[in-house]
Amino acid sequence: MQLQDFYKILGGSYQEIKERLQSDELILRLTFKFLNDKSYENLCRAVEEEAYEEAFRAAHTLKGVCQNLSFGELGASSGELTELLRNRETVPVDRERCMELFGQVCADYRVVIEAITTLKGQKD
Amino acid sequence: MRDKILIVDDVEINREILAEILREEYEILMAESGSQALDILEKLHEEIAAILLDLVMPEIDGFAVLEELNQKPWSKQIAIMIISGDNTVQTEAKCFELGVADFVHRPFNNRLVKKRVHNVVALYQYQQELEQKVEKQTEVLRKQFRLLQQQADRLRQSKENVIDILGTVVEYRNLESGEHIKRVKGYTRILAEKMMRDYPEYGLTQNRIEVIVSASALHDVGKIAIPDSILLKPGKLTSEEFEYVKTHTTKGCEILNRIDNAWDDEYGKVSYEICRYHHERYDGRGYPDGLKEDAIPISAQIVSIADVYDALVNERVYKNAFTKEKAFRMINEGECGVFSPKILDCFGNTREEFEGLAETRRAE
Repeated sequence: MQLQDFYKILGGSYQEIKERLQSDELILRLTFKFLNDKSYENLCRAVEEEAYEEAFRAAHTLKGVCQNLSFGELGASSGELTELLRNRETVPVDRERCMELFGQVCADYRVVIEAITTLKGQKD
Repeated sequence: MRDKILIVDDVEINREILAEILREEYEILMAESGSQALDILEKLHEEIAAILLDLVMPEIDGFAVLEELNQKPWSKQIAIMIISGDNTVQTEAKCFELGVADFVHRPFNNRLVKKRVHNVVALYQYQQELEQKVEKQTEVLRKQFRLLQQQADRLRQSKENVIDILGTVVEYRNLESGEHIKRVKGYTRILAEKMMRDYPEYGLTQNRIEVIVSASALHDVGKIAIPDSILLKPGKLTSEEFEYVKTHTTKGCEILNRIDNAWDDEYGKVSYEICRYHHERYDGRGYPDGLKEDAIPISAQIVSIADVYDALVNERVYKNAFTKEKAFRMINEGECGVFSPKILDCFGNTREEFEGLAETRRAE
């Protein structure tokens, strides 16, 4: 799998990330680090416990990492969840909508992990 | 030398991207939490050129770090750049209010961020160099100012010495020692300082007092123009001779007018006042102009009583010395001129100082 194909699967743009980070080597190194990133795990736990403060932070972090790595779909869904939770202190969280968006994040996350694993398998 | 950059972000990937860009140019320090960042800063703030700070972090977040840093005097010398995915105007505005140098939105372009960090660091360094330069130059200026002050002091001192010499020459011709000048200066100072404290309406200041005291040495400079036959005549003068003696006041002023450029305006003015008016009387019956009450300049009023007191307690060609008690009483009872009640009040209240000075100067 080429990096171009990898980003097509994730709804991102190889051209865009290459412009930002300048080197394939760096792109790969950072992408593989995503396998160790804890923000998705944190998000799952927080949503399950309805700990929305923590959920907001985890979703925000996940969105940020995805933007950095040009993971388009996952960045968009975690971004939507972030916005839903942003005003948690003033507006009560719509739990149903939260679960819906969270479901989308989970689906997008699985696609990303699968694609990275394939990429990593090729490399090794 | 500030050559380190501190990257603060709880996510490794984010830290890694920034470190990657900047590693070539700077030494990179990383903190994965606000508290770790503050610890590092506490130790190494003198070596850190810039902080790249994430906002959303657990526990101590970016805002808390900013607020904490604002309490530190050294934080002004470190450029703080926020790196955030939060794109709201409010957040960005709040950060600038808290003193950050720049705000970078995620995702960012590596080359551009590198340039922005570079610019911000250069700006801060330039500013600090300027501050150091200004500080150095201020120090040099201060040194020169102190030197000038010393020289001004020396000049003032030597001017005073010359004036004392001039006064002493006159006194010598009058068969007096230079002590009369010194005592009159002393009495003048005692009275003037008391007047400054008790009667502020005369506007006396320490500076003005120094001028009056110094110029009092010249009060009789006009006597240089009075012939010996009159000046040194023992016993009573004829009324014609006395009229002639009186001209020492106006003759003194003539002398001063000729050496007009030798001192500054204030000094010239006060010397003139003292020379001309130190024989005026509060009731208007003095000479040469018959000025009355506070039309007589305060400098001349003070020197007048100092001069009279000294003449009383010392011997003159025309009289013996009176005791201090007698001299005090004579002045208070108006036997030797008429003085302002305010000056007499100060004279009465400084009697001990007057007598102390009369005693020491006599003993020398």
